[in-house]
Amino acid sequence: MSWPRGWIGGGALAVGVTLALGWLSQVPYDAARDVEAVVRLAWRTRATQVEECRRLTGAELERLPIHMRQEQVCEGRTLPYRLVVVLDGHTVVDQAVYPSGARADRPLYVYHELQVRPGWHDVDIAFTRDPVPADTASQQERERLGERESAAPQRLTLARRVMLGPDQIVLVTYDAEERQLVLKGSGAP
Amino acid sequence: MNRLYGWRLNPLYHSGALVVLTFVLLTVTGLYLVFFYRLGSPHASIVRITEQVWLGRWIRSLHRYASDAAVVAAAIHAFRMFAQDRSWGPRALAWVSGLLLLGLTLVLGWTGYVMVWDVQGIVLAREGARWLDALPLFSEPISRAFVGEREVPSAFFFLNLFLHVALPVGLGALLWLHVSRVARPGLLPPRGLLWGTTGILLVLSILWPAPAGTPADLFRLPARGPYDAFYAFWLPVTQGLPAAATWVGGGILGAVAVLAPWWSRPRVGQRPGPSVVDERLCSGCEQCYLDCPYEAIAMVERTDGRAGIVARVDPALCVSCGICAGSCAPMGVGPPGRTGRDQLAQIRDVVAARAPAPDDVVVVACTHGAGGVGAESTFDGAPVLAVDCAGSLHTSVVEYLVRSGAGGVLIVACPPRDCQHREGPKWLEQRLYHEREAELKDRVDRRRVRLIYADLAEEGTVAAALERSRGEVAALERARRETDIALEAECDLVEQGTPGRQGPERSHGLEEGRR
Repeated sequence: MSWPRGWIGGGALAVGVTLALGWLSQVPYDAARDVEAVVRLAWRTRATQVEECRRLTGAELERLPIHMRQEQVCEGRTLPYRLVVVLDGHTVVDQAVYPSGARADRPLYVYHELQVRPGWHDVDIAFTRDPVPADTASQQERERLGERESAAPQRLTLARRVMLGPDQIVLVTYDAEERQLVLKGSGAP
Repeated sequence: MNRLYGWRLNPLYHSGALVVLTFVLLTVTGLYLVFFYRLGSPHASIVRITEQVWLGRWIRSLHRYASDAAVVAAAIHAFRMFAQDRSWGPRALAWVSGLLLLGLTLVLGWTGYVMVWDVQGIVLAREGARWLDALPLFSEPISRAFVGEREVPSAFFFLNLFLHVALPVGLGALLWLHVSRVARPGLLPPRGLLWGTTGILLVLSILWPAPAGTPADLFRLPARGPYDAFYAFWLPVTQGLPAAATWVGGGILGAVAVLAPWWSRPRVGQRPGPSVVDERLCSGCEQCYLDCPYEAIAMVERTDGRAGIVARVDPALCVSCGICAGSCAPMGVGPPGRTGRDQLAQIRDVVAARAPAPDDVVVVACTHGAGGVGAESTFDGAPVLAVDCAGSLHTSVVEYLVRSGAGGVLIVACPPRDCQHREGPKWLEQRLYHEREAELKDRVDRRRVRLIYADLAEEGTVAAALERSRGEVAALERARRETDIALEAECDLVEQGTPGRQGPERSHGLEEGRR
């Protein structure tokens, strides 16, 4: 195509493609879509470990190589929690929370996002650990008492009335120093 | 596109080189930006860069628009390679490495947008963390960094910056792998397209600077904001999917993209076979070795008792383009059934069946382009001889046609950068007009031979060129018809022991050709 049609056509196409590139580079998008406000539950806490120990019988010891003969063997495990969240009188979360990791020996993580409408909301949270079995109070476990103290308490609760504006997020998290659930964020009272 | 820009500057033909150009632009602009980026206050530093009216604003915008152009050019390049059947067999490495390059480019863009730490940045970061948390790899969920328990640690931004700077090294390595099986890769577009593309991106950057969205806020829902569709096009889909489904879906899509050429390639038995060398005819001139676009030919010591070297084709690298057939003066190499001798035998049969008239213009057309003329036996009344690639056409065929009394020969090749086999038209043009071995002999009247370029959609171009050729032929003296044209006999001299041209002069040719 000859001048000037070729130049005009080529220039128009180049400008069109460039403008399309510029527009597609900044397309308006709403990632939150229909979500208006959120109550976010997110915390991490060390799980309570218990060890159940028992003494091996003479016959069991006999079966072991000499260098492996320990009279007492212990099996450790961590205790799960139960999380119950009641929002405006409705139970929206009721689940067991297990420690993470392939051997369930890593900390516990809680992460939920509850979509709500802006306004006042009653939030009632209970995070309760299974009780430590009485028969596991062995010597080893007593030695671990200090460690267990650093784990979350056996029961954490939070009952608050919170105000959320449009697009606001309020965070419920665990304060390890205060050893309690706390509210954070712009909607926190 | 050819009508608007001509084949020399057609951006579709240079899509791969345009990707490399954008990588160069990204590197240059990125080096400037990294000096002003602050890990402790990422969004504020981006805003400060944007407020530098004279430099920062347009350099950042150019960085962003170049990254967008990279995705567009890479997608076009991949589509063209697939559509042109250039993605399987020995080209599989280029196909797979190309897809990896595209994937890595998207990851790089991802890290780049997280660096900005605006609305889009936090959404991309959280979405990525959600995906990674679905994998059993990390001892603690990455998503925790963005819930608001505490400030997002600087270590996160450092890691992100490190990836954004380090991954281009991997990009370079992949690019090297991508072009490792082609000879003379054209890494940059021609000067006009190079400066034109750079200029137009620069003008866009100055007139329409890329925005920085509102800063990320861990305690507010992401507001409606500007998203880059080239790097976040998947967000509307994946946001509503569980992370595991995203991995599965992405894996399936990736596998389909990688395997598509294997499903669409010709069946076994229908695939063209690799070139073979007739060592009795090979003079060791190295021309096929120089011309092969895929470095599939090596020169090795002869083992038949004669002195010198001989060409050897690696079937694992040969795509059966046949360009070696056009480069071999003794006509001793080429895909089975498509060597120079096979072509001569074919044209001899054609001429014997119907000798061309003195006012006939014979069209020799590439089957991959040439306005689709190669699929016909005649075009606008002119006899058509189809060749798999114009670069595989042996000049002896052209000579035979002219000496058989054809008024003219119109050779229709694909535009050089659109060649199915990369360099066919380039070598053919040099063989016809610049005495590249195996050149069209001086005794052939060049006025009767015309070479044009036309892609598959340019039938009109071929028709116009045919009309012009007929006019030119009519103005010439009447073509003479020779009989007993024995072109192979000249080549057979080589078979009887006359060596091909070798020595220092050819060594120089080797260097020239490889450049």
